[in-house]
Amino acid sequence: MFIDAMGLILADNNKISLGELSKPRALAAVPFGGRYRIIDYMLSDMVNSGIKSVGILTLNKYKSLMDHLGTGASWDLDRKNFGLHILPPYVNSESSGNGMEDADELVGLLDFIRSNRSMYAIIANSNMILNTTFNDFLEKHEQSGADVSAMYNRDGTKYGVPNYIFDVDRKGYVKDMLLNPEKSSSNRCSLGIIVLKRELLIDMISDMISRGERNFGVHTLVKKHDTLRVRAHEYKGLVLRINNIQGYFNSSMLLLDDQIRADLFWNGMPIYTKVKDEAPALYFENSHVGNAMVSDGCRIMGTVQNSMLFRGVTVSRNSKITNCVIMQDVHISENCELENVIIDKNAVIRPGIKLVGHKDYPVVIGKGAIV
Amino acid sequence: MAKADVVAMILAGGQGARLGVLTKYIAKPAVPFGSRYRIIDFPLSNCANSGIETVGVLSQYQPLALNTYVGNGHPWDLDRNNGGAYILPPYQRSGRSDWYKGTANAIYQNKDFIDDCDPKYVLILSGDHIYKMNYERMLRDHIKTKADATLAVLEVPWEEAPRFGILNTSDDDIITEFVEKPKKPESNLASMGVYLFTWDVLRKALIEDEEIPESNNDFGSNIVPMLLKQGKKLCAYRFSGYWKDVGTISSLWEANMDILDRPEEINLMDRSWRVYSRNPVKPSHYIADGAVIKNSALTDGCRIYGTVEHSVLSNSVTVEKGAIVRDSVLLPGVTVRAGAYIDKCIIGFNTIIGEGVRAGASVTGDSPYLNTRICTDGIVVIERGLKIKDHAVIPANCQIDCDIAVDPALNVIEEMFRVR
Repeated sequence: MFIDAMGLILADNNKISLGELSKPRALAAVPFGGRYRIIDYMLSDMVNSGIKSVGILTLNKYKSLMDHLGTGASWDLDRKNFGLHILPPYVNSESSGNGMEDADELVGLLDFIRSNRSMYAIIANSNMILNTTFNDFLEKHEQSGADVSAMYNRDGTKYGVPNYIFDVDRKGYVKDMLLNPEKSSSNRCSLGIIVLKRELLIDMISDMISRGERNFGVHTLVKKHDTLRVRAHEYKGLVLRINNIQGYFNSSMLLLDDQIRADLFWNGMPIYTKVKDEAPALYFENSHVGNAMVSDGCRIMGTVQNSMLFRGVTVSRNSKITNCVIMQDVHISENCELENVIIDKNAVIRPGIKLVGHKDYPVVIGKGAIV
Repeated sequence: MAKADVVAMILAGGQGARLGVLTKYIAKPAVPFGSRYRIIDFPLSNCANSGIETVGVLSQYQPLALNTYVGNGHPWDLDRNNGGAYILPPYQRSGRSDWYKGTANAIYQNKDFIDDCDPKYVLILSGDHIYKMNYERMLRDHIKTKADATLAVLEVPWEEAPRFGILNTSDDDIITEFVEKPKKPESNLASMGVYLFTWDVLRKALIEDEEIPESNNDFGSNIVPMLLKQGKKLCAYRFSGYWKDVGTISSLWEANMDILDRPEEINLMDRSWRVYSRNPVKPSHYIADGAVIKNSALTDGCRIYGTVEHSVLSNSVTVEKGAIVRDSVLLPGVTVRAGAYIDKCIIGFNTIIGEGVRAGASVTGDSPYLNTRICTDGIVVIERGLKIKDHAVIPANCQIDCDIAVDPALNVIEEMFRVR
């Protein structure tokens, strides 16, 4: 597929916190859906659209993201021309380590965008889980003659805050944008994905730099709807939103639904992720598994119900896991009972531990914890 | 080409006729094994883990799948600036062109490739063995003993020795004789098909062997005896651990079952010696409510609604509700429809087993598909890319091959489709 666009993904979002899960890593690097990280979906969408140059904007805690992305080879983005660029916050000597206060990080971004030669830029936040391509989005944008097009859908409010609601005029242009309104005349919830001309983006960022503004984001650009013509573009496919820890948990559980899994993984293009070369999952004599997603390298000797198991998880004998999200390389010892629990990478649950959360407030065990 | 100390050459050109329809369209080393691997992943990963960075893969029979699979060698870290993976098919040269006539001839035809790498040692591997081995240790022994060639050997039970190529040795593991399948073995050291040669010695032997018109140009039956006759020093390198030749349907089935029954022996979970493979891009597998799954190995993209017991499933296998899969090996993309019963079957890529089909070792009856030459021990083998008719009955030791002419009333194949 050919597309005359570059991609930009914002790896962090200062309005979204996933508590323990986003403590050690950027939002984009939070594991989601068995073998993936959140960013894999948007990155694959861009690659599947034919985008060959993607910049990832990071603020801090980007080590885990860099480990995951590597050279970009898993997404076919290890290229001589363009490919994957991780843009860490840019601090120069003049700003004496106070980079966040100035617009200096935007200078690095500007250099990256200037060095590109695509006509368009697609910018996306990293809390949306969807499997799509942007070719139709870009085509409609070109035909419309708008300055910016912004994607929205109509079921966003059920994933909790934060939510940007578009108020749209009769011609389909955004006339107002509200953050988490109590009462709203519209259910058009922004997906945090926009397209605009690369030249226009350069002008806007240069303008921000000269004004000393530092909050670069999808919605700060959409906010210019009074001076720019911002078109609202409805997306009708499946979108899962990771807005907060409950949303993370609910979205994980939604993946156990056949239809949602089909929409996200089977009916569209593939979702790529870093290759791990784990062994196949092994099920032993005493395993009882129902309604669960299980990844390679797992060893199941116990009972697993309504759960999501990432790669390399061990569930020992006589342990019971219900409504849980268990991340990579977690070891669950014998005689444990876990319900409504999210366990981050490398944690160890000692024998006989019983942990019960509520489905609206799951218990979260941090990365590497020993319980 | 950059200089390499060791070059590994993987013999991957053989048809593997004893695997029947499984190797109809793909070479034996490209046959899926152990849920997420292909057979050739084992020697390739051994090379990568042993620090051997120049690997030639000699392909000849049905090379498409193998060539695409090995590709640039990236999954095995063999996409190197210096060295890497090279697919070496037979080629035409001015005046004449030859297929690879035997294992030694295949190497002979690629001696220019090896000369360009200018190695001291050449490691000859075969593409049809399942084992994890550190070739570096073998090389160290080879250098220490100042041998001209070192052959990896495995102690096998005496009663099984007549099935192998046996090496008779003197006390200090110096090889005195090579006997192919001896009726009365004098030793129980079986050759594993892993040969390490000092390149100068091998090069000379290959050229000499080529001049002998009646030679089969084979390592075991020609090169090794020739070197012994010339008084060269050939040493045995003792290997202990899991090793299996998967050249027949029953040994391929057994090796798959070993992953379930003796997981600690082949130990695929060992992270210090990973077996790498080219990964399918599929989501984690899904086990539905009401599914039963025991003693089995599964990988990405599987969707299980029925019962899976003691079986090895490759990626993207679907087992529908009420279907029972037992003691079986399902290759990528197989679908087992509702109510089907599968027992001790090996089913090829993307084949669809219709509703209520009964197939396998415990199914009795007569069938035109009976093939006890390929299918032993009750195993049923089904070709790839077929739709098996609903409620068809396929008794033990059958091989479902679409090229067999069968009375339409007894035909179990409803449809054939192209497998990509």
